[in-house]
Amino acid sequence: MEPSFGNPQIAVIVIFGALSLALAAVFALIAAQTRRDVPFESVQRVGYWIRKRWLAFLLVLLVAVVGGSLFSLPYSSGADDRTVVRVSGGQFFWSISHERLPAGTRVRFDVTSVDVNHGFGIYDPDGRLIGSVQAMPGFHNELDLTLDQPGSYFIGCLEYCGRDHHLMSRRLQVTED
Amino acid sequence: MEALAAQVAHPKAAELAPEPTAAERRVGWLFAGTGLALFAAMGLAGLTMRLTQADVIGVSTSWFYRLMTLHGAGMLTGALLAMMGGLWFVLRQTVPLRLERALWSYAAILAGALAVVAAVLVGGFAAGWTFLSPLPFESAGEWSTWATAAYLGGLSLVGVGFFLFCLDVLTSVVGAYGGLARALGLRFLAGRDDAPPPPQVIAATVVSLEGILASAVGTTILMALIGRTIDSNVEIDALWAKNLTYFFGHSFANLIIYLAAGMVYALVPRYAGRPWKTTKPLVLGWMATLVLVATAYSHHLYMDFVQPGFAQYVSTTASFAAALPVAVVTIYTGMMLVWGSRYRWTLASTLLYLGFAGWAIGGTGAVIDSVIPLNFFLHNTLWVPAHFHTYLMLGVVFWLMAFVVHLAERAAGRPASRLATILAPAGMVLGGYGLVASWYLSGALGVPRRYAVHFPGTQGYSLAGSIAAAVFAVGFVVLLVELAALGREALRRRRERPVEHASEPPARAANRSGVLGAPLADELELGSVVALATLGLVAFLPAVVDASEASPQWHHLDHAGQFAFGALLGLALGCGVGPLRRRLARGPSAAAIWAVILAPAAMLLAMVPGIYEALEDRSALHLLYHVGISALGVVAGLGAAGLGRGVGRLALVLSVGMAAMYAAGVSGG
Repeated sequence: MEPSFGNPQIAVIVIFGALSLALAAVFALIAAQTRRDVPFESVQRVGYWIRKRWLAFLLVLLVAVVGGSLFSLPYSSGADDRTVVRVSGGQFFWSISHERLPAGTRVRFDVTSVDVNHGFGIYDPDGRLIGSVQAMPGFHNELDLTLDQPGSYFIGCLEYCGRDHHLMSRRLQVTED
Repeated sequence: MEALAAQVAHPKAAELAPEPTAAERRVGWLFAGTGLALFAAMGLAGLTMRLTQADVIGVSTSWFYRLMTLHGAGMLTGALLAMMGGLWFVLRQTVPLRLERALWSYAAILAGALAVVAAVLVGGFAAGWTFLSPLPFESAGEWSTWATAAYLGGLSLVGVGFFLFCLDVLTSVVGAYGGLARALGLRFLAGRDDAPPPPQVIAATVVSLEGILASAVGTTILMALIGRTIDSNVEIDALWAKNLTYFFGHSFANLIIYLAAGMVYALVPRYAGRPWKTTKPLVLGWMATLVLVATAYSHHLYMDFVQPGFAQYVSTTASFAAALPVAVVTIYTGMMLVWGSRYRWTLASTLLYLGFAGWAIGGTGAVIDSVIPLNFFLHNTLWVPAHFHTYLMLGVVFWLMAFVVHLAERAAGRPASRLATILAPAGMVLGGYGLVASWYLSGALGVPRRYAVHFPGTQGYSLAGSIAAAVFAVGFVVLLVELAALGREALRRRRERPVEHASEPPARAANRSGVLGAPLADELELGSVVALATLGLVAFLPAVVDASEASPQWHHLDHAGQFAFGALLGLALGCGVGPLRRRLARGPSAAAIWAVILAPAAMLLAMVPGIYEALEDRSALHLLYHVGISALGVVAGLGAAGLGRGVGRLALVLSVGMAAMYAAGVSGG
């Protein structure tokens, strides 16, 4: 399987890349300014003025990003008519109640483990990671996804589980009909 | 001395920082030198892993996961040790820390590190440094129980060393500054203190409080897991274990950065020639950090959908908010200090400056990962090592190197050569950022972390990362070569002219004993504790003991009650009985500190069903066992009585809390 970028991942890379470059530029600019001799009182006067606005900006960002994110949480609401697919992880295999599903199926993966912690990570036929949930012994985590795209979905383990962790995989077929 | 200062520091540095004493230099060298050596060894393990993922070399998967476990545990231990030394170095200039306690911490951590090395290299332990239960007991034939016990025991010793350090720092700063509120800068914040402690003291106080909390939680999970190695019937709730493990691990990793920040507060002024003063925003920032470090850990459990929702909401808010004090106070003030300061650029100060950038950029990657809908796509992908290597390797480790070079440049009386000052940081910045960029990109692609063999088609990222890591290694070797040259120079100077160590000034010579106060100050408090202890006797009533046999968890809760009874009794004895009170009031003794560390750990180990089951058929022995649990409580209570009002009460509450926490998650047997 060769993974590829999806829309959220591209957004993450672009935003992080831009912020990192901006930060690197700021640090380079400040480093260049260290050779000057500026009275500390002047630095403080301007610095404190900017700092209040910097704090206000970050607080607005916090409320916007964290507040906004709470409206698109991946957690299952539980009350919905979805096709329940039971998934159980073990060293080093996945047991899945369905081998194949029709495209467009609204699935609720009911994920657990028979031994140690595993991570249920599902990649679409284009190799994009479309979601993950932990498989824990003694607990059932429910992951809701709609599998629109026909093809072969790859399921890998996203929680280190021992010697053959990297080999723990399975396929789920999503058919046209 | 002024000529020396002009060579290796800002001309005004001598006015801002006292000369370090011999003890401070030695502890600095010992801790940071060991940390740097561990970084070098674990870095080689890391490079080996990356080359394996790139298909350049053929390390077996068994050995890959062993190296992965060793790399994680070793790097964190090395960085922790080094930054403990760095903070001790700068803190002792205002707070009377004791050399022998620092050496005990060092010895415990070193012994722990050796046990971890033996568990991994000899025993084959490879459950990852996070030892997520029940993986340590499900080895798929890779390691045996003794290796698990050695690893967990080793990590416990590392925790004991840090616990001891935190207790010593906390009792010392509280004693030196006349109370916890003043040491935290709260009285200054309230306008009732004109002379607040310097920033490194506030940082040290917050780190120590957080460190004690993390150590208590860490001891609970580690003792529960060690108990499982003794009695294989012990059952540990997986979600409970995950919460405790990540609280402990997350706090430890975070506190390394905050330990380093405390050191940086004192080092930057030596190159900028401007003092880093305590301000109200700084105090507020550290108070926020105190709360946010403890509440952010649940982001490690975002993809555990059974984790209570409120913990996820608090965590995502706290994880984002934790960046605010860093961005608005520490890094921002650091940049104000250097702006237009005629900053003295040496190898040490260059690395110091670069560390800020690593913290800022890595922190940004971490904040992105802390947003739950984005974490859905990034959880346990290579994005995670990408961001933590940015702020640890390119942040904390740069500060670690800066500290060692700072010591070396001072000892040699000259700055590092111009060539090394350019080449070492250039190689490490180019290689370091290249390495983390390979992880950021492949992490966003969904490539999982902790895979010995990567998905087909993604090995190119590992190859690029390996080349970048090799470039980092070249820069690091240049730094080591320069350190060796500075070391030779320092030895030559020492032979020609013995080093004039600053003498111990009176303020550092002795603790202001008595300032700590007693956990129970008057008859009312004493009477209340005696009444509570009397209530605790309920845990011994035959009817209660019999009823608790319904399940191991209820029985553990009964044991917790018996321990609480003993702890309260010990506290009351320590504060109420004249000779004991007078002895304990002399100041926090080593015995008192060891008592609050070891007695709760022993109590948790004694709660392994395999140990006490054999006694249950004989009522006298069973009663004796319960009395023994209480006796451990008495020891913890007496220890708490010797640690002063704030710290003693905290230690007591945590020791009883550990017993209650254990009861919540451990069953079976």
